[in-house]
Amino acid sequence: MHIPDGYLDIATAATTYAIFMIYGGYVLRKVKGKLTSENISLISVLAAGIFASQMLNWPIPGGTSLHFVGGGLVGIMLGPWLGFLVMTIVLLVQCLVFHDGGITALGANATNMAIIDVVVGYLIYRSLIKVFDVKRTGQTAAAFFAGWLGTVISGAACGLEIGYSHLFPYGFTITVPVMAGWHAVLGIIEGFITALVVIYLTNRAPHLIYSGRRD
Amino acid sequence: MGSSNGGILSYKRVLILILFLILVSPIFGVFLADMIGYHEPLDVAAEILGLKDLTEKSNWTPFIGYTVPGLPLEIGYVVAGFIGVGIILGVGFIADRFIKRRHN
Repeated sequence: MHIPDGYLDIATAATTYAIFMIYGGYVLRKVKGKLTSENISLISVLAAGIFASQMLNWPIPGGTSLHFVGGGLVGIMLGPWLGFLVMTIVLLVQCLVFHDGGITALGANATNMAIIDVVVGYLIYRSLIKVFDVKRTGQTAAAFFAGWLGTVISGAACGLEIGYSHLFPYGFTITVPVMAGWHAVLGIIEGFITALVVIYLTNRAPHLIYSGRRD
Repeated sequence: MGSSNGGILSYKRVLILILFLILVSPIFGVFLADMIGYHEPLDVAAEILGLKDLTEKSNWTPFIGYTVPGLPLEIGYVVAGFIGVGIILGVGFIADRFIKRRHN
């Protein structure tokens, strides 16, 4: 899902950078003065874990791969504000140190993975927990859908961005369904891993599931 | 999992898991990828459509694509993993010290 340099035209790159900056500024205002030593440790360890897990590309015959993105899980664990910080740290290191994702596409990649994936994961999980039961089966299903839908919608957003860009020969009427459809399949693994981690945390460290108290 | 006041090092199990993930990462990111001729899906699309991927032309880092100059791909991938994790934890450690100093 990391868009490289050369795919986005100036208008798309500037628009997505603006979204990233405005949302990032809002997040910094929300967490200003509330960041504790505990939060910072958790943010950096989670960011390191997401970075390492994204290095595990599971190649699929045919020339593509699966890898865990982690935005939905981070949203469930830390909520939309601190979750944004985790994914932004990962994307900055990937882009600036390893050139994984273009510098001109950093705004778009952050919009997709640090904003949309995290917020969708957080909202879906919290909504399903509220609407249905809060027992283990409900939590597992909610975590699965949060991870899956976060990936699908952020994939669709990626399709929208490259489809809107004049540099890409296909419009978003083609790129959005292709990217959303593809990520609907890839997102099954994302949902599965998200659910497994949430089950583990629910049993071993329930305080690490976001309850609104952390920020 | 980690305690509430022990800093980054209190998340020992997660740090061990991260170490494990980095050590096995070349199996997925290098060996299996080579075996099936893996490319990023967006790179494949760009090649078919004749789009220019400017990544290599506009590169600024010696670690492009999780490689390390002078090292074989597999070892470079592991070293790149440690570099990335080291930077993230290092920034976290500095921020943690800064916050603790401000609160004291």
